[in-house]
Amino acid sequence: MEEVDRILIHSLRQAGTDIDEDVQSVKQFTSELIVEAVVRCLRVIDPALGNGLSHSLPPGMSARFRLGMSLAQACQDVGFKGEIGYQTFLYSNEPEIRSLFMFLVEKLPRESAEASDQPSGKSALLQRAIAAQIRAQLSVPWLPPSCRLPIHRKTQSSGPCHSFHAQPLSLPYSVKLSSRKQTKEVQEYWRNYLLPVTSQPSRHASVPASLLENHISELSAAQEWESEWNSQGLLSRLTPEEYRSRKKARLQKRIEEQLRAAAQPRPDAHGATRSTSDLAELLLSFGGVSTGGDVLTKGTRFTHTEKFTFTQEPEKAAQQMAAAASALPSSHQSEEDLKVQQEAELSALQQQLQQLSVQMEEVGGDIKQLTVSIQQVSDELQQKEVSNAEKENSVKMKRQTIDLLPDAEDNLLKLQTVVEASSKRVVHLASQWEKHRVPLIDEQRRLKELCSNRESESSRKLSEIKDLHDKIRQSAEEAKKKESLYKQLLTEYETLSKDVSRSAYTMRILEIVGNIKKQKEEITKILSDTKDLQKEINGLTGKLDRTFAVTDELVFKDAKKDESVRKSYKYLAALHENCTQLIQTIEDTGTILREIRDLEEQIETENGKRTVSNLEKILEDYKAIRQENSALAAKIREG
Amino acid sequence: MELSESVMKGLQTLADPNVFDLKSYTIFTELVFDSLVSPRCESVLGHPELKYIDQTTLKHCHTAATTFILEGVKQNADKSTISSCLEDARFQIERVDLLYTSLQKNKTNLEYLLSSIDTCPPHITDAAWRLEYCIKNSHLHKVNQPSYLISLNTERGGASSEINFSCTMEQLQDLVGKMKDAAKSLERASQS
Repeated sequence: MEEVDRILIHSLRQAGTDIDEDVQSVKQFTSELIVEAVVRCLRVIDPALGNGLSHSLPPGMSARFRLGMSLAQACQDVGFKGEIGYQTFLYSNEPEIRSLFMFLVEKLPRESAEASDQPSGKSALLQRAIAAQIRAQLSVPWLPPSCRLPIHRKTQSSGPCHSFHAQPLSLPYSVKLSSRKQTKEVQEYWRNYLLPVTSQPSRHASVPASLLENHISELSAAQEWESEWNSQGLLSRLTPEEYRSRKKARLQKRIEEQLRAAAQPRPDAHGATRSTSDLAELLLSFGGVSTGGDVLTKGTRFTHTEKFTFTQEPEKAAQQMAAAASALPSSHQSEEDLKVQQEAELSALQQQLQQLSVQMEEVGGDIKQLTVSIQQVSDELQQKEVSNAEKENSVKMKRQTIDLLPDAEDNLLKLQTVVEASSKRVVHLASQWEKHRVPLIDEQRRLKELCSNRESESSRKLSEIKDLHDKIRQSAEEAKKKESLYKQLLTEYETLSKDVSRSAYTMRILEIVGNIKKQKEEITKILSDTKDLQKEINGLTGKLDRTFAVTDELVFKDAKKDESVRKSYKYLAALHENCTQLIQTIEDTGTILREIRDLEEQIETENGKRTVSNLEKILEDYKAIRQENSALAAKIREG
Repeated sequence: MELSESVMKGLQTLADPNVFDLKSYTIFTELVFDSLVSPRCESVLGHPELKYIDQTTLKHCHTAATTFILEGVKQNADKSTISSCLEDARFQIERVDLLYTSLQKNKTNLEYLLSSIDTCPPHITDAAWRLEYCIKNSHLHKVNQPSYLISLNTERGGASSEINFSCTMEQLQDLVGKMKDAAKSLERASQS
């Protein structure tokens, strides 16, 4: 019981009850202590239930009674099955209180303990730090500004505040290019004219913001690049630079396409020509910056027309300027005249514009037609040239044959020998070629195989590299997590109170387990003894039955012949009956004895509960309450 | 603490004893802290002891060091984190210690600097009130409604000012209730 009590008292202390050091067992608990402990446990188990109860015992009897009743009710609500009433708290007896406390301690939530065991992560740590900071600041009283010490400066007078305002910084290095590749001018600028970063922002307050933002943006860009490189870049089998340049070219092409699609000149919108020409310019410059303007030079017609309109623009402007200048001297004319004149001018100009655009369209159509016809003509020219060459060849052949005709036979022979020789040579060359070809083909096959092998190997290695990358990242993350966890646990360990000796607990538990084992052994021994006895009894009864049957038979056989034997048979039967009766009686005695023992135990437990004295106490309480009530009633009557 | 590549490179240059000897290193770190803490320091890197170092390198190191210090203070990094970071950048132990001691010396100022990036509403330091009872006005013969004239003394950045307003009883009750709520939730936040 000591062990149980010690564990109980420790758990109750953890639940928030203030138990004196010299209280060692449940027997020493006073009523006040019991009430306090129960209320604290209830508060931990079910805050809603426990918060309505006061943990101190009131002086008045009726109030005590009420508190006891509500406590008993609360315990039953929580799930306590045993007998419980207000007297349990006020007139305690040890076993009841112990069982109640055991129940309550069992019910105490374990989450708090488990939560401290589990890693609560970064956010929980931060939360805790914030809570501690708030607590610290709350504990410091507010001081008027004149009384503040420098230590209060941080928490109480929060200086001038600025919003987060980051400005772009000019840095003395480039993220994209190494410093050697930079032009000399840039390097000179860096060396002689660039201000240090802390002096660059217009206000000193935005220095930290700008620096932090710059750093974060660099970090995130690096991260993004890494993830992209690992997911796509590695598979493309390019070096990072190549991959980058290819991606850049792809992007530029797409932007160009988009822009061009948007900049297609629409014939109905005259006002758009200006903006489209701007766009064309942009496209031009874009192409110039990119890998070379070869993409744009293909779209000649488009750019030509654009240039055409664009070069017309200044002329038009000059015309307008001239018109305006001519209008200027006559500015002293009446305004209406001016207006009329302006309108006329405007309509004339519009007409001109329309004419010009119509003309332009016509010219464009002409150009189109002309280019098509030029193409046709050049095609024809090519065809003619080809046929011309063919004809020349045939003419040459024919002339040679005509030359050879006069001495036909001789020439024929000569020709035949020549042909034979040449065919022989051809065969010879072919055989030679075969000779050379076979090893070359073999070589080529071998090289091809080698190449494919290499390719497969490289792809294998690539996948390996990718796996490795993944692994590296994973393990790095894990390491980081574990490190932070270790740190957190370390701080937690430092903050933990070290009064709970774990080894003592385990020792005790082991002892208890040992005791239980011993008891179990004893029980099994007794059980086996009983079993043996039962077996013996069974054997004996069996033996008895059999002997009786045999004797019965023998004696019965003889009994028919002999009178004296018949008598002895009767005796035998009587003896057997008596013996069974005797055994029955003995068994009955045994059961009765057992019942008696049970009843005695029950009586003992009932005696232990001190029902009589408790009843007397309850009666006294009843009287006290009545007295209080009557006193109150008298007061009311007086009042 | 995660650092970008350029910051790492700058720190590595700073750690290189061939570029910065110990004396110029000490001067440089002090200058870095000064440039962060004091409002205007035009010629940060014009110190005569640092003349022999290439200005571009110096500026790069300055950027890296200021970023590193700000990140460290922002994350409230302890000594082990900072020293492991610096050792990654091949700092010698004495240089790490030098930087760490100056960081400790300037930490409150730097925290102050970072915590000033904030938009905090003014602090209420005192309140005065007056009850006004309106018996009637030009429209109604009988109004008979109380209203409160509240004046809150506030303080912001050392300068005090006043906020004056008038409110009905319900509005005042609402205000008081909300303030109580705020106080209670602050209390709760401090206990979690």
